[in-house]
Amino acid sequence: MLTLVLVGVLAFGLPLVLRSPTYLHILILLYLYAYLTTSWNLVGGFAGVLPMGHAVFVGIGAYTSTILSLQYGISPWFGMIVGGLLAVVAGTLIGLPTFKMRGAYFALATIAFSEGVRVIIENMDYLGPFKLNGPRGLQIPPLKTGLANLLFAHKEPYYYIILIMLIAVLAFTYFISRSKLGYYLNAGGEEPEAAMALGVNVAKCKLVAMAFSSFLTALAGTFWAQFTLFIHPKSVISLDLSFEIAFIALIGGRGSIAGPVLGALLLRPVSDFSRIYFGDKLPGLHLIIFGTVLILVMLYQPRGLQEPLTRIYDRIVERLCSDKASEQIAVSPAAKE
Amino acid sequence: MKILEVKGLIKNFGGLRAVDSLDLSVEEGQILSLIGPNGAGKSTVFNCIAGVYAPSAGEIHFQGAKINNQKPWDLCRKGLARTFQIVKPFASKTVLYNVMVGSFANTDKTAQAEEKALEVLTLLHLDDKKDVKAGNLTIADRKRLEIARALATRPGLLLLDEVMAGLRPTEVDEMVEIIRDLRNSGITIFVIEHIMRAIMALSDRIVVIHFGGKIAEGTPTEVASDPNVIKAYLGEEYVVS
Amino acid sequence: MFYILEDAINGILMGSIYGLTALGLTIIFGVLKVINFAHGSLLMLSMYVAFWTVSLSGVHPYAALIVVAPVMYLFGYQLQNTIIKPIFKAEKNVREPITVIIVTTGVWYILDNLSLLVFGPQYRTLQDNPLRGKMMEIGGLMLSVPKLWGFVATMITAGAVYWFFQKSRMGRAIRATSLDREAASLMGVNQFKIYNVAFGIGSATAGIAGVVLVPFFNVFPSVGVLFDIKGFIIVVLGGLGSIGGAILGGIIIGLIESIGPQFMTATWTEAIVYGLFLLVLFVKPSGLFGVKYDW
Repeated sequence: MLTLVLVGVLAFGLPLVLRSPTYLHILILLYLYAYLTTSWNLVGGFAGVLPMGHAVFVGIGAYTSTILSLQYGISPWFGMIVGGLLAVVAGTLIGLPTFKMRGAYFALATIAFSEGVRVIIENMDYLGPFKLNGPRGLQIPPLKTGLANLLFAHKEPYYYIILIMLIAVLAFTYFISRSKLGYYLNAGGEEPEAAMALGVNVAKCKLVAMAFSSFLTALAGTFWAQFTLFIHPKSVISLDLSFEIAFIALIGGRGSIAGPVLGALLLRPVSDFSRIYFGDKLPGLHLIIFGTVLILVMLYQPRGLQEPLTRIYDRIVERLCSDKASEQIAVSPAAKE
Repeated sequence: MKILEVKGLIKNFGGLRAVDSLDLSVEEGQILSLIGPNGAGKSTVFNCIAGVYAPSAGEIHFQGAKINNQKPWDLCRKGLARTFQIVKPFASKTVLYNVMVGSFANTDKTAQAEEKALEVLTLLHLDDKKDVKAGNLTIADRKRLEIARALATRPGLLLLDEVMAGLRPTEVDEMVEIIRDLRNSGITIFVIEHIMRAIMALSDRIVVIHFGGKIAEGTPTEVASDPNVIKAYLGEEYVVS
Repeated sequence: MFYILEDAINGILMGSIYGLTALGLTIIFGVLKVINFAHGSLLMLSMYVAFWTVSLSGVHPYAALIVVAPVMYLFGYQLQNTIIKPIFKAEKNVREPITVIIVTTGVWYILDNLSLLVFGPQYRTLQDNPLRGKMMEIGGLMLSVPKLWGFVATMITAGAVYWFFQKSRMGRAIRATSLDREAASLMGVNQFKIYNVAFGIGSATAGIAGVVLVPFFNVFPSVGVLFDIKGFIIVVLGGLGSIGGAILGGIIIGLIESIGPQFMTATWTEAIVYGLFLLVLFVKPSGLFGVKYDW
């Protein structure tokens, strides 16, 4: 518990120390990916299925809030919620028929849905009264800044917003895991027949998890749009993004709360640095690294890296605390989180 | 009153008739055993009652209401719980977690679910193992966990599918005691079993099926001397005529 | 009217080639019960191998088959042996090891980006190959020669594979394993060798498809992605595990792609394909010829 508070304070204090916009940018993306993978985890980890097209919800969130703000002047905060609700509808539509099938079908369905939506948006300039602009994408002019418009001239406000979102989603995941839904999801994911015999409507629970997950993911889509000020189908609804989210969560450890964040912490820097330093000479290197790490982790630590990492962490904490204990007569070892 | 009534149950799998016009009933507070040679269709009967399979024909009534085609989770809410012949523990979770999944059937609060789960574990002498991962338990403990989980849902009728299989004689005796205690606490028990010692000790009534149909019914003594039963289990030569 | 018939027939020809590309996917699924997400990458690899074989040695494109098919067989065999087998061993009790899906996706990423690194992003074509752009007139219709050959190759391959699984000893062992792993192993069948062979065969068919495609299709690092997704769609349409289903599914896609542009833009046709896929998934997930699984 103590460590979490420390980390939290550190995170909030960082922008005061780190002035460089580049580093802030990297951190913002890091938190964003941690947010995305944690939301993904609600379905991919807790419910035990493999959504491989989650980026579509990012896209739905991004496009909804952007269209509403560009065409109707509606605040992105409101647009965020609308986008989230639309994502819930989409997620439920995919989930309803596929949660009864084997996992591979669900994975395929999510990919097909994501690609299908992307192709449709790429082909349409207008969907009814809404301007989609096809492959050219939508640009948000940086005119009116301020909290109400979720648009800022500097990186700092974005940093705090995404940090708060990340903390919120982590807390949410924590509470779900301790709740009836969490128990039911775990049971249904591990032994669906036994779970059903114990009163668990497995398919319904998965749908609920899917609804939460798609809603939260869409919120990140709006953030992304307001942060990068430009969205187009290949950037927000790409298979690459979907896979990256899934890979990070899987490498970190799906089904655990720390896993996705750990994964993001480990892998995003790899991605950023390999792109900065090798971008031109060795394109796609970071993806090769991702793929290799993924395979290695799946072969040797299928539950993700968080398991061995937490064990190492616990041992360090124990070592530190038993040092203190040998000086004083301690009562109990400290934070085992 | 009859807590469970099965009338004319037929279950076909393609061309195979697994259950053939079966009638049986269980009185509340009784222990009824279903026995029969391997492949006789016993687990199929359970699966039809528990909502895993839809009957091809016939009616199943639980607590006076027809339950054909209802889903396992709804039946569980109504008070019908079951265990599985091949145990299915949530192996990566602790014993306590496993049982809590069951006790959540009657509450939404985690604290209450935990409390109720601990009660059940104490009843079944598993409370000292509550933090052990279910995957690390012995087979005997896993069978007990299976019962504990089902028990936590507070059933009126408990279907036990071969809970004694793979247990040593002392473990069998312990299990018999547990089942008797459960019945005495007011739960009706419907058992599928192969271990005769347990059947004879536990049952109020026995139903014998063979090739999906009932061939005998009655008290343990009646069934043991029934020539049809002897013929089915041991063969024609053993029938004393 | 005439043109539609011509388009339709070319569409059927191309569609059969699609079926050929998806054949490996359906075989691997049928036997191992996993979806090999790296299948597109295998196809991409075979196209590169075919391309380099022809470019460096100057042989007729179809002669490259002698090199490509065995190379791909061995590659697939080894891939299954080193990377996928350990997961099967670790997840013995799981009926459907999802981890395998994850791992094959990793392989996809590695292979595609590795080839981007090594071969570079430029499109490659066999400029002077004897088949390029050749058309043949049959009954007044202009049909593409490489596609005609592709159709022939598909039918022969499908027939050979079908015969192999039905009649040969290894084939029957494979079928037995796919139906019930444990029972087959009790009969003395080495389950993992079977998987290796099946994966090898699946990869070899991708090799044949690669050879068929190289004369008229551009080769570039992400060419596999196109076929990968289309392959999933075809295989679900036709029924996972069904050889005939894969061919038929491919033909349907080929038809939609060739006739569609008469009535709408090419990219809307793409959307229709996705829509059809989702429809099948929701209405009859076992596809046209698939078996309903008890799981």
